[in-house]
Amino acid sequence: MATIINADTSDGLKLTSDTSGQIDFQSAGSTKATIDTSGNLKFNSGFGSVGTAYGVRAWVNIDGVGTVGINASGNVSSITDVGTGAYRVNFTNAMPDTNFVISVTTRVHSYDRTQITARTTTSCDLGGFALGGSGADYDPVNVIVVR
Amino acid sequence: MRIIYETSDGGVAVIVPTPEYLLTHTMEELAAKDVPTGVNYEIVEDSVVPSDRAFRGAWTWA
Repeated sequence: MATIINADTSDGLKLTSDTSGQIDFQSAGSTKATIDTSGNLKFNSGFGSVGTAYGVRAWVNIDGVGTVGINASGNVSSITDVGTGAYRVNFTNAMPDTNFVISVTTRVHSYDRTQITARTTTSCDLGGFALGGSGADYDPVNVIVVR
Repeated sequence: MRIIYETSDGGVAVIVPTPEYLLTHTMEELAAKDVPTGVNYEIVEDSVVPSDRAFRGAWTWA
């Protein structure tokens, strides 16, 4: 059971409450989104059913050319430029563990020219490199952390 | 502003803050969080850090 907020096509807003602690958001009596008692946000946004949404916990768009800068970011306190093509991304709020997934891309096509070298709950180290394997600076270096 | 410190191999690390973090924190607070524990650091103007990265690996901090 759940407390239900339903946008009914005949009667408009319909509220049904209980003491389960879960909230369901419905359209015409069909559940489209849920916040369960563990705080998990679940929605059907083309999934085909209501499923848990796994959010991006941190992201940053690094300008690694010339004067290194940050084009935009979320949940990142800073980046540390530690060498040619080598960066540490420092999180504002730490991850719950080190099992998060990191995606790093650059503007270079056809070759995988990025690598992830280390991770902790508070940061991750990554790099861009040239085809020969040496470090290389790129703009942008896009980083997404999902957990 | 930037934070610079010497890395364990004698190189130089440069910390670039995000604008969002500086909305609610100071550079000193950022240094306390993101500079490795026990490492000396210096807060400098952006212009102190070279924009020519051709010899990035040769940078030193005197």
